[in-house]
Amino acid sequence: MLDQKKKKKKKKRLQLPLRLNILFIFVFGLFSLLVIQLGVVQIINGEEAQQKINQTENTPSEKPVPRGKIYDRNLDVVLDNEAVKSITYTPPKNGDSAANRLKLAEKLAEFVMIIKDEEELKDEINERDKKEYWYLKNTKDALDKLTEEDRKELTTGEQYQTVLDRITEQELTTISWNVELLNVLAIKKELDQAFELSPHVIVNEGITDEEYAQVSEHLLELSGIDAVIDWERKKMFGTTFNSYIGGISDSEEGIPRENSDYYLANGYTWNDRVGKSGLEKQYENILRGRKEKIQFTTDTKGNVIGSEVVVEGQRGKDLILTLDMQLQQAVDEIVEEELKKAMNSVNNNGYLQDALVAMMDPQTGDVLALSAVRYDREDKTYSDNSYRVIYDAHEPGSTVKGATVLTGYETGAIDIGTRFSDKAIQIANDPPKKSYRFLGYSLSEVDALEMSSNVYMFRTALKISGATYIEGENLRNFNNDAFGIMRKHFSEFGLGVETGIDLPFEATGVRGGDPVAGNLLDLAIGQYDTYTTLQLAQYVSTIANDGYRVKPHLVKEIREPGNEENKLGPVLKQNTPEVLNRVSMDDRYIDRVQLGFERVFTGGTARSNWSGFEYDVAGKTGTAEKPKFDESGNQIAKTENLSLIGYSPVENPEVAFAIIVPENGTGDQYAVHHEIGKRIISKYYELKKNRIED
Amino acid sequence: MSQKNTNPTIDYTLILIIITLAIISIFTLFTLDPYLKQSYSQTFYIQQLVWYIGGSILIVFIMLVDYDRLRQISWLLYGVGMVMLILLFFHLPPGIAIKVNGAWGWFSFPVIGTLQPAEFMKIFLIVFLAHLIVAHNEKYPDHTIKLDLWLLTKIAVFSLPPIFFIGNQPDLGGVLVLTAITACLILISGIKWRIIFSLVLMAILGVIMVVFLYISFPEQVDTFVEATGFDHVESRFQGWLSTEEFGQSGGYQLIRAMLAIGSGQLNGKGIGQVEIAQTIPHYHTDMIFTAIAESFGFFGTSFVITIYFLLIYRLIHIALQSNDPFGSYIVTGIVGMFTFQVFQNIGMSIKLLPITGLPLPFISYGGSSTLTYLIAIGIVLNIHYRTKTYMFESDK
Repeated sequence: MLDQKKKKKKKKRLQLPLRLNILFIFVFGLFSLLVIQLGVVQIINGEEAQQKINQTENTPSEKPVPRGKIYDRNLDVVLDNEAVKSITYTPPKNGDSAANRLKLAEKLAEFVMIIKDEEELKDEINERDKKEYWYLKNTKDALDKLTEEDRKELTTGEQYQTVLDRITEQELTTISWNVELLNVLAIKKELDQAFELSPHVIVNEGITDEEYAQVSEHLLELSGIDAVIDWERKKMFGTTFNSYIGGISDSEEGIPRENSDYYLANGYTWNDRVGKSGLEKQYENILRGRKEKIQFTTDTKGNVIGSEVVVEGQRGKDLILTLDMQLQQAVDEIVEEELKKAMNSVNNNGYLQDALVAMMDPQTGDVLALSAVRYDREDKTYSDNSYRVIYDAHEPGSTVKGATVLTGYETGAIDIGTRFSDKAIQIANDPPKKSYRFLGYSLSEVDALEMSSNVYMFRTALKISGATYIEGENLRNFNNDAFGIMRKHFSEFGLGVETGIDLPFEATGVRGGDPVAGNLLDLAIGQYDTYTTLQLAQYVSTIANDGYRVKPHLVKEIREPGNEENKLGPVLKQNTPEVLNRVSMDDRYIDRVQLGFERVFTGGTARSNWSGFEYDVAGKTGTAEKPKFDESGNQIAKTENLSLIGYSPVENPEVAFAIIVPENGTGDQYAVHHEIGKRIISKYYELKKNRIED
Repeated sequence: MSQKNTNPTIDYTLILIIITLAIISIFTLFTLDPYLKQSYSQTFYIQQLVWYIGGSILIVFIMLVDYDRLRQISWLLYGVGMVMLILLFFHLPPGIAIKVNGAWGWFSFPVIGTLQPAEFMKIFLIVFLAHLIVAHNEKYPDHTIKLDLWLLTKIAVFSLPPIFFIGNQPDLGGVLVLTAITACLILISGIKWRIIFSLVLMAILGVIMVVFLYISFPEQVDTFVEATGFDHVESRFQGWLSTEEFGQSGGYQLIRAMLAIGSGQLNGKGIGQVEIAQTIPHYHTDMIFTAIAESFGFFGTSFVITIYFLLIYRLIHIALQSNDPFGSYIVTGIVGMFTFQVFQNIGMSIKLLPITGLPLPFISYGGSSTLTYLIAIGIVLNIHYRTKTYMFESDK
């Protein structure tokens, strides 16, 4: 196309056309490649493709494989599979004739008795079924029952009905209706109900292993019949941890319709069972396994003459949880018992209903237990609502003060050893804001944590906001950005943001929306924004772990399916601790907060409840006021959210926990949060000791 | 040296080729309409027609201004493109940046509809790199190794960021197109052959190394790609290399596509007969070629490829005729874009290449893509329109 031969004085002039021509030749090469490959696909292999479509489109070709199992950290099976055997029938395109169905039923009846109870079988078969059978067996006689007029005037359906009506009792008695025959009729009734090309279950419950094996062996003679094994999930610990394990759809429900494109593109069929919630959904790709693919060779009439496994099926991979189910069960029990005790005390002034606990390993992020129990006032029952640990958010009260102090350090509002008086804060004519009692004229930040001083936190928050505070006067220069600053620092501990747990959904709590100074002070003492129990556990873990915020996770390992029953396969992937962020502060600052948290238990607000406790624990208590209002906004009751966070042992901690018991009545309360705390920590060490001894 | 021909000309051949492609597109979507109606409420062929009309109006506007002005705004275009990609990277603005089929690649505006910045970035990058190369060559008319490497560095500095951001969405197809565009422009930028050859050699060695690693240490590679978030790329490759075994994940689309295309055979099954193609996801957008192949067979597919070939032929012709390097470079970039997309899109459905999400230019349904390609054609028409031809060319 382009002449290139001419010599040019300027080399530069020439090189552009030359290179464009090279490009053109390259394009030509690529396009030729396309045409050649299309020729191969469409002309040389085209016929084969068409045959493949004819062959495979209409024959059932995939067998389900069991999903992966779930084990706890001690390798006890948490979620298992149970095989359910069944015989199905898939009619060919456009269905099959009644005569053929009867033949099939007779053949199948040699191997299976679909209703074992004789009486039940007799009830199942009514007179019409018998008449239809007589019709099929004596078609000629039956058609003689129609007059010429009938044939002219009636539709085919009406003719059939008329014939059935005219079959007499007498005629029916010519056939001996023994059990074998009734079985044939019962099978045929099931076959009649199947739709073209979609498998219909003929029998599943009550089928014996022998019957199943018989049918499997004779599949080639039974066209359209298949012996399949379906898998049901079996929860070995009953309802314990149920909401986190999640569920799968049944085969009628199939894949979620709203996301069907995604599933279909990944090779699922409409009836496939998929994880709908919890870990089953989160780890669907790992648990699902690979379906066995069988290619049936059929002759032109559609009879199966052979089969070949194209893709070997493989059971889904197994998950090993970070959880110890024994601990989880024990914590569930403790939470329920303690909630019951609280219900019978002043804590119950008509609102108490929940107790929530999260436990994790602060260094690795391994979740150890997630437990929540709810009391239903109407049914008067206690039930496992453990999902609330990640769904429900509450104001935790003073437990957040560690984060407030660290935010103070980080923003430069306070430094190590900064002292404030605990004298109540008085802004203009607002009610004074004070600590639960006057704690002294000079508190350091460690004292403030130990004794849980509100005023110290208020003053820190005011400094962060840059406001000038003069007792009894309005604040000057209050900067609204302080909300953003504090929340940003709080989020470094996981407060108000996703913890990153390996579940399809988690709540992040609610942020208050009114940026006035009073609310900033409340934010500093945990009375404004709400957090989930898991967020609090991550927060205390971050402090316990010297400022490294690790992602909590429920799955410790993924393993290949084992070859033998109940044997684990090799480790495919190990979930290593994932650090989400490091709190941007020197160790010495975090050490101060850790010291404060330690003193809470040795000399501060938790001392009396924990004195004489066997193991050393550090942490923080919290009480948030949660007044109840009626519809018109009048306060009708006082309640308090009781919370406790902590970790143990103080040096090199291995367990961190967060406890919230919302909406307790006020007064001489039962210290339900402390009681739960002591019992779960004791339980943790007890189980640990047992395991080491074993 | 010559007398200027003052009559600018419109390239009717190119226009005719585009009209043919438009007819193929709208007609195919029309035949697919009964199937599409089962899952969508839109009427795609009408909408595609609207995009074509809108694009044609855009072309008229583009023709009004001398394309040389593009040099002045090339920085601006590049900047706008990058800002959009960066916004998408941070999933901003919330509610407007949206995730479709697993990739953060779209803005969704109320009323106007959705917009895919990666498509527009293709044109912006072409114009920008063309400008960059011209500016370099004007400043340094000589090609020494040192100057060439300097030019290469500049090209890399400006083409890698958009490639990174699009790769992060993740949109493998977009990455490959931008790479193809950049490669074409490097080829014709005048950079010395020995540098180009060493680049090609390095690329080949790189590919060989990846393949070698995958064959020798499959598990480590597995963990690595998972850790770096490239697992979807891996699954596409697995689907391509061992189609049957990975039939459930990456290979599924490919098996269906091969069946659909193959069963079209020589003559096709007839207009609107797409029993297999309609079961392939995206059969009206990225996988539309399978529908054409199934209904019209080998005759249909080779006709489509011929039309594309004519298009490329015409574009290269215009690039050769233009005596302004800036114009030639832009057209070459556009050649790179079209060639690669056509080759990749068709190649992936017949197992020449792994599957990636890329539209078939002018034929696949899609607003952003169709508009982008029409804008590209508008620029080419503009370049041809303003090419000065000489009556007594000493060069020829």
